[in-house]
Amino acid sequence: MNDRSKAHMLWHYSQGFRQHFLLAVAAMTVGYVMMFGVPLVMKYAIDIITAETGNLPPAFLEVPSRWLSSGGTPSHLVYLLVAALSIVLLTIGAGICLYIRGRLIAVGSEGMIRALRDRVFHHLEHLPAEYHDRTDTGDLVQRCTSDVETVRVFLAGQIVEISRALLMLLVVLPILFSLDVDMAWLSLATIPLLFVFAYIFFQKVKTLFLLVDEAEARMTTMLQENLTGIRVVRAFARQGFEKEKFAEKNADFRDLNNRLIKLLGVYYGLSDLICLSQIGILLIVGALWVLEGFLSVGTLFAFITYESMIIWPIRHMGRVLTDSGKAIVSMGRLAEVLAEPVETQHESYPASALQGEIAFNHLSFSYSVDKPVLTDVSFHLPAGQTLALLGPPGSGKSTVAQLLMRLYDYDQGSITLDALPLSELARKYVRAQISIVLQEPFLYSASIGANLLVGRLDASQAEVEDAARAACIHDSITGLPNGYDTRVGERGATLSGGQRQRIALARALLKNPPILILDDALSAVDTDTEARILAALKARRSGQTTIIIAHRLSSVMHADQILMFDKGRIVQTGNHESLSQQPGIYQQLCQIQGAIQAQIEADLDIGVASVDQRIVVQSRE
Amino acid sequence: MSEFFDDDNYNDGFNEDAYEQGMDLGLWQQLLAYTLSYPRDVLILALCAVCTAGADIAFPLITRAVIDSVGRGDGSFDPYFYGALYFTFVVILASSVAGFIWYGGKLRTHVSHDIRRDGFANLQRLPFAYFDFRPVGWLMARMTSDCERLSNILAWGLLDLIFCVTVMLGIACAMLYMDWSLALIVLSVLPFLAWLSMTFQKRILKSAREVRKTNSKITGSFNESIMGVQTTKTFVKEAENLRNFGHLTDDMYKASVLNKVQAALYLPLVLTLGSIATGLALVFGGLEAGWGSISTGTLLAFLAYSRHFFEPIEQLAQWFAEMQMAQASAERIISLIEAPANIRDSQEVTARLQQYQQNSSPEIAIDGYSNALTKIEFRGVSFAYDTGPKVLDDINLTIQQGESIAIVGSTGGGKTSLTNLLCRFYEPSSGEILFDGIDYRQRSLHWLQSNLGIVLQASHIFGGTINDNIRYGRLDATDAQIVAASQRAGAHDFIMKMDQGYATQVGEGGSKLSAGEKQLISFARAILADPKILVMDEATSSVDTVTEAYIQQGLKALLQGRISVVIAHRLSTIKNADRILVIERGQIIEAGNHEALMLQQGRYYNLYTQQSLTEFARNQTHWQPGV
Repeated sequence: MNDRSKAHMLWHYSQGFRQHFLLAVAAMTVGYVMMFGVPLVMKYAIDIITAETGNLPPAFLEVPSRWLSSGGTPSHLVYLLVAALSIVLLTIGAGICLYIRGRLIAVGSEGMIRALRDRVFHHLEHLPAEYHDRTDTGDLVQRCTSDVETVRVFLAGQIVEISRALLMLLVVLPILFSLDVDMAWLSLATIPLLFVFAYIFFQKVKTLFLLVDEAEARMTTMLQENLTGIRVVRAFARQGFEKEKFAEKNADFRDLNNRLIKLLGVYYGLSDLICLSQIGILLIVGALWVLEGFLSVGTLFAFITYESMIIWPIRHMGRVLTDSGKAIVSMGRLAEVLAEPVETQHESYPASALQGEIAFNHLSFSYSVDKPVLTDVSFHLPAGQTLALLGPPGSGKSTVAQLLMRLYDYDQGSITLDALPLSELARKYVRAQISIVLQEPFLYSASIGANLLVGRLDASQAEVEDAARAACIHDSITGLPNGYDTRVGERGATLSGGQRQRIALARALLKNPPILILDDALSAVDTDTEARILAALKARRSGQTTIIIAHRLSSVMHADQILMFDKGRIVQTGNHESLSQQPGIYQQLCQIQGAIQAQIEADLDIGVASVDQRIVVQSRE
Repeated sequence: MSEFFDDDNYNDGFNEDAYEQGMDLGLWQQLLAYTLSYPRDVLILALCAVCTAGADIAFPLITRAVIDSVGRGDGSFDPYFYGALYFTFVVILASSVAGFIWYGGKLRTHVSHDIRRDGFANLQRLPFAYFDFRPVGWLMARMTSDCERLSNILAWGLLDLIFCVTVMLGIACAMLYMDWSLALIVLSVLPFLAWLSMTFQKRILKSAREVRKTNSKITGSFNESIMGVQTTKTFVKEAENLRNFGHLTDDMYKASVLNKVQAALYLPLVLTLGSIATGLALVFGGLEAGWGSISTGTLLAFLAYSRHFFEPIEQLAQWFAEMQMAQASAERIISLIEAPANIRDSQEVTARLQQYQQNSSPEIAIDGYSNALTKIEFRGVSFAYDTGPKVLDDINLTIQQGESIAIVGSTGGGKTSLTNLLCRFYEPSSGEILFDGIDYRQRSLHWLQSNLGIVLQASHIFGGTINDNIRYGRLDATDAQIVAASQRAGAHDFIMKMDQGYATQVGEGGSKLSAGEKQLISFARAILADPKILVMDEATSSVDTVTEAYIQQGLKALLQGRISVVIAHRLSTIKNADRILVIERGQIIEAGNHEALMLQQGRYYNLYTQQSLTEFARNQTHWQPGV
């Protein structure tokens, strides 16, 4: 991404706001013309008072003054009143222009940023799951927030600063040169020097700014680690050690910051020296020229006033230009995110309602080339039936669910829903047909009620509670101080893993789609509760196709079909009856359950036992 | 994510709006003490501010003298003298500007450093009850953004106060000295300007706060959209999320534009008022100059002053409004620094610590009691968090030296509370916990914690190297001791496989390690510390079989020869324990060894049966038949 395409990106987002910026520049120009009129009015007023001959008052003072004096020679008072009024009116005029500029820039820059934010958010929502897998969350959030902010400051602040300095120079130069060419050259003498000095200085300290940022980051990281690990700190009685560690980081940040401030102090001192010397030279040389009669006192005054109006913004330019460099980097980082391809969206929506029949045909899938996750997986699940997937961690069970939801696209074989190829169905359609409950569910930072309504927005309170009851969570929710209004998520109440799982289940039940997937969704729920939930699910189910991914035999026993997974392959297929007859792991599982029962019976007789060892021995046989 | 907890975005009981009216000077006095603890720097800073203000005031006076000298046209104008005079003041101004930036900056960084230092020190003392209701993000926001905000006020605000007051007083004096009647005419604009500035600054800051608030909501929203991407996709919530986000960006747009428009309106109004002052100076001063009652130079000086006089008002109004707005921050910080540490050594214990300071006998602990630990006793211990319901009810329990205890039971039954009490992270609401017959509140907290090892379910790993993390157990351990501890913990093998062995950087929060590896490191850390008591919350996360074997080995080494209390999840841990406690609803409902409890066929029997099946299924390496 080069600078030109970044500029192009900005240009693209300025659509609809360009006229704002254009009008703002126009308003600013008019405003500065008026503002710079003020010293001019003062100059003429002073010249009238000091009775400088040869300098007739300009028409804008003379005409109204003569009119006020009914055609006679105006008195000083009349001239002064007209001048004072002009000053106030010019200032009001300039003020109106500056207000218009401020408003236009605000609307333009904030509007552009709103469009950019919406765009980035929209993009994030539609990036494939695979992108989120390989991207660091913190970095991504940083891009969406800090980098957008940097661009915003650039649009609303730095661009204005730069154009302000340029416009001021553009407006003031003709005035200066028309007043007195020699004085004009004199008043510009140190400006290039000042500008170059400012620019070079801020380029040089750029690295120090970075160092300070890094020191601050180190300090906050340490602080965060200490606070999240406060139990470990106390447990090892390391408070003193931690204090020392923090003191070091804290002092480091302070000292680096101090170093930066010292340099800034030198810079502002030196640039003040340049600026004020420039005004001083103007004053002394101007005074000599007044003495020699080359210059009126009013003109000298005007020059000094102009000089002090334009010199400070120029001094500021070095800082502004350096900061603008950051905006370019930020734009590049944002453009990178926006350049990531989103999920394809062009597939079709079938006309009839989905029944829920699922088939995998010789499906193979891998996240990366060298590591196959699923190999040649085939099964057929008629609508309304329950399928259980069993297998050790990492055997590819969850991937089956993720592929079914079209979170990833498969490469070999095919998946069909109601005999329609999955890859040709719109993702949103597919996902609307499936509810999935994950082992570690994500809850939005909102009330529990609102989290449940994510399942179906228009559900009534009765329906919500009904779903919560089925998931055995209703009583826990009403036991909380604020019931269904209790906030959860990032800033909310802390819930146990089991509670979170059950809320997620209730949410999925509320959605009530043709297909339900439980991906180890009740692992943190104790077995008694799990049994009640499974019974409730069975009672509720009306022709829903269900996929259960689990470790426990009790969770899968009643499934119509059971698939045993290992290393991405299906190694056994059947139901509880057939599998418990076949030699294999399922049979072992069943036998062990029996064995444990028997063993415990035996133990009870003997009174002493080493049940566990015997189980292990048996399972290895 | 400390941004989430900025300002009143998080309801922490500090209501920002309540602080907007009036000013609690006591609060600021307390904080100002931080600034005043650097009296020399404050003095220099004040001096620099006064010098800067003085030079600022001097320039129009020099200009006046030059103009008048030139105006007299009697050849009295000496360009060298005035040049030198002017340049002298330029040097004074430039060096005092550099000086006040130096010292103001120094004060700011030192004040924020000191507030943070005190805050951190208190955080290390505060009981865990304090942390239960304050998320880490909330604390972070206090220690970072609030600190910066307040130190800004306490240093730059102070500087500006001195500078602005000096400039205004100086200009007023200079004007009054030159021509008092003209001065009064120009100054008549002052009250209007002060009122206008106060009104506007408050509104501007208020809308700025709205912007910040909305901004942190936007950050939260981005964070949530990234963390919850899978849920969003599976519930097809993209459109709805986008709509909600659209409302946020709309709010942001409105708040930002309002803020900017207010600022855009304020400046022209100030300029207009200023121009009225200039106009007044011009009309009346011009007339007087025409009559010859004042010199041209004086007129010019008045014109220049009328422009400069009103700038400090803006600044002062801004600081005043900022102070009102920042009062809630001030209150939060002070509450953090001064929150009382309820769990700490009593005066009696502190006195004994003093008394036995010189003692070097290994048998005597730092608090004068015996260093040995042979028996822990819970006697009628009940406990409730704050004002909540009882989570532990009349617990009686004796643990002997070398005994290992496994605690099982449902979530929320009180297992964690029991261990928290044992570690004195909390103290019993009623009843007592005795260490060798002495209530542990009579003993030094440091002594207890130095004898305590703790391994948490989610192993906490600090950023830094593996070596650093293990050394945390004993800071003066040699490398050989660290390796030995790792070997016993079963961590050595995987560490040696890493690129840089023990010197490998683990990333922030140990992000480069797997859950199993983190556990092994926390074992090594605890083994190195060699505590008398080990308290552990066993991790439940599934790890691969090889790591599982290492964990079993490490666990055995870890528990050997100490009093150990483990919230157990693994069958082997439970079975190997000398005694198993089943805790439900705050009470010990069953206690005994594995065999005895199985015989009872009660709660333990059920738990054990379920767990055996789950664990068996989970621990199978291969599910292929015949393997």
